[in-house]
Amino acid sequence: MTSTKTKAAVKTPGSKLYILHRVAILLACAAIFYPGFNPGRITTAINRNVSLFTASISYSSLVSQLERALMRGWVQKSTFILIMGASIVLILGIVLSAVGGCMSVGNRRMRRYGLYFPLAGSVVMAGGLVGLFMAYTQIVAANNDRVPANVPGGFWLYAVLAAVTLVSTLVLLALDRKSQAALEPKMAMQETYHLFLLFLPILALAFVFSYLPLWGWRYAFFDYKAGGDLTMENFVGFKWFTYLFQSEATRNDIFRVIKNTLALSGISIITSWLPMIFAVFLTQVPSRKFRRVVQTFTTVPNFLGWAIIYAVALAIFSTDGFINNFLNNILGLNANNNYLMSNSHMWLKMWLWGTWKGLGWSAIIYISSITGIDPVLYEAATVDGAGRFQQMWNVTIPQLMPTFFVMLLMSIANVLSNGMEQYLVFSNAINAQSIEVLDLYVYNLGIVNGQIPMSTMVGMCKSIISVILLFTANTASKKLSGESII
Amino acid sequence: MAKNKSGAHYRATVGDVTFNVINIAVFSIFTLLCIFPFYYLFINTISNNELVGANMITLIPRGIHFSNYIALKDVQDFGNSVLVTVSRTLLNTALMVLASAFAGYLTTKREMWNRSFWYRALVITMYFNAGTIPWYLNMLGLGLTDNYWGYIIPGIVAPYNIILVKTYIESIPASLEESATIDGASAMKVFTKIILPLSKPILATIAIFGAVGNWNSLQDSLILMSNSPQLYTMQHRLWVYLNSSSNLANAMQSGGAASAGMLNNKVIKYTISMVTVIPIMLVYPFMQRYFEEGMMLGAVKG
Repeated sequence: MTSTKTKAAVKTPGSKLYILHRVAILLACAAIFYPGFNPGRITTAINRNVSLFTASISYSSLVSQLERALMRGWVQKSTFILIMGASIVLILGIVLSAVGGCMSVGNRRMRRYGLYFPLAGSVVMAGGLVGLFMAYTQIVAANNDRVPANVPGGFWLYAVLAAVTLVSTLVLLALDRKSQAALEPKMAMQETYHLFLLFLPILALAFVFSYLPLWGWRYAFFDYKAGGDLTMENFVGFKWFTYLFQSEATRNDIFRVIKNTLALSGISIITSWLPMIFAVFLTQVPSRKFRRVVQTFTTVPNFLGWAIIYAVALAIFSTDGFINNFLNNILGLNANNNYLMSNSHMWLKMWLWGTWKGLGWSAIIYISSITGIDPVLYEAATVDGAGRFQQMWNVTIPQLMPTFFVMLLMSIANVLSNGMEQYLVFSNAINAQSIEVLDLYVYNLGIVNGQIPMSTMVGMCKSIISVILLFTANTASKKLSGESII
Repeated sequence: MAKNKSGAHYRATVGDVTFNVINIAVFSIFTLLCIFPFYYLFINTISNNELVGANMITLIPRGIHFSNYIALKDVQDFGNSVLVTVSRTLLNTALMVLASAFAGYLTTKREMWNRSFWYRALVITMYFNAGTIPWYLNMLGLGLTDNYWGYIIPGIVAPYNIILVKTYIESIPASLEESATIDGASAMKVFTKIILPLSKPILATIAIFGAVGNWNSLQDSLILMSNSPQLYTMQHRLWVYLNSSSNLANAMQSGGAASAGMLNNKVIKYTISMVTVIPIMLVYPFMQRYFEEGMMLGAVKG
């Protein structure tokens, strides 16, 4: 939010101070959502995953680990209501300051009136902090070992931020009073900053949900157990990485999983020409209506979730499914097979399900490419005496090659990412070993078994390799066809 | 292209006829394979439940009735999952479309402070992700696990859709916006009065893809809501039912009308499957054009 670049801002008195002022407010806003900076965690008995924001909107989250303590009367309920109230007040103060921070990029009149907001805001923030301190004294007074008092780092952070905001606001107000510059008749803001402020919420969301998770990679380097803390004592460096390959059990697991991943991706890469052939042959059908019907029905499965596809699989292939019904009722046999409870040809079967679901949809891009091919090419080929298949091979396919090439590179770049849903829904006690892919392995390891550091390490390696693959594929594409795929 | 072939340039030979017959037959079989399972599921949900339970319904429905669909309201937890899925589909899609439209418009404005830097920061998030576990830990830290808003908020900013909208708005003649700006309209006013109405086609496209994604959501429900069965999505609920060996029919109060036969596990599972399929089947043929256009937009984005 620095404004040193534009001429107008350079003339502003105290423009450097404005930067400090805005940075303090921005930090206060960001820390609201981060549990590590929750100033209200005045006892370590409060869930460590509760942020200031959560504490202010959800009382049940705030006391989620304190049911017993409240029931036994070790601490008073009123203490926690006070924490929640103080959190709300604190956030109110931060919001007021944020409004002022936004107004500080306006013209002089807007900046002047904007300063009253952080002035009020920092006072309100101080009020919230006092409330938290009162709750802290209550916890200290309760003096119970199971609810130990704690002065969280976030408390000092907010105390400092509120002080910086207050002092900078007072100094800026004083400078503003002294300044001789003319005051504009109306409040206004330069368009460039106005647009940026409008865009800021989008950026904030992208930051929180796409960049912030990267900070979670640090778990891969700690000996972390759910509910524990990350301290320098349990920092283990690359232990999990070497453990992955040193311990025989995990080494076997990871090699098996990588084998499954590469095999399943490999089969789809090898057969990635199928949608193209599907499109080439479908466009040979003379009836437009027939083509339309085929397209509609073959693309529908692509829009159904994997749970439904699994329901279909059960309905057709299980013991009481269609195949057995058909054999018994129509052909008069006595069949009783559960085709899903089998571990044979699992890679091929998974590929078949994927193809059944996605073939029609993947062909669409080729179908519309074919409709765009210049008819003159076919006329010329006909004059040269080319038959149907020669036209397909010598005219249609070469025209589709650029599209095919891009698709192929994309699937090579995604070789490690088969997704987990398909393999999760289809896995059972018998076939689980053959279809556990990397994404599913990470899910099973981290979410199901709670081995956070190890699964984070595996996921981190996967992400890094995937990005490298993507950029390699992109460079290859640029070199070979001059087109970028990303 | 096929039109050229059919008669105008040369007469149909025996080879052509054979080709057409085989070609059409192959496509017919594949199409049938795609659609038959749903037909099979459907006839089993509307046939007499006793016959379904005895595995007697193979190709033709018998004893048609629709009471199973009504009986679903008594299946434990299913109503909740319908509510969760329908509401998240509406809410998340609406917010995502609005945010994409707004962000797409703002990123076309060259005047924005450091526009290209912020735009790149947004787009680059499509090409990396921290992984499932760090994402989960982040959501845990934000208090969005076992919380309905965990379905809504993360999906609001969708960089890919923002790019699509931006590209589309850039194709709208700039003169329209310029004349409004000269008349003194603010950026917000230009957005609501000019940009939003003109970009309806692209917004419809991203809305449809967003809605289908929400309707089919399974992964976020699995990862985020593991301690809150009342917040499972329909797909998650369906998967749980498909895997459960416990008797769903016993958990229900009523056994269905006598003429329809007693409810049983198989019928309930099939009916729930159909309930998740039918809305897509009904909507898809009418929306197919938008789906295909959306696919092509993605392909030419470059």
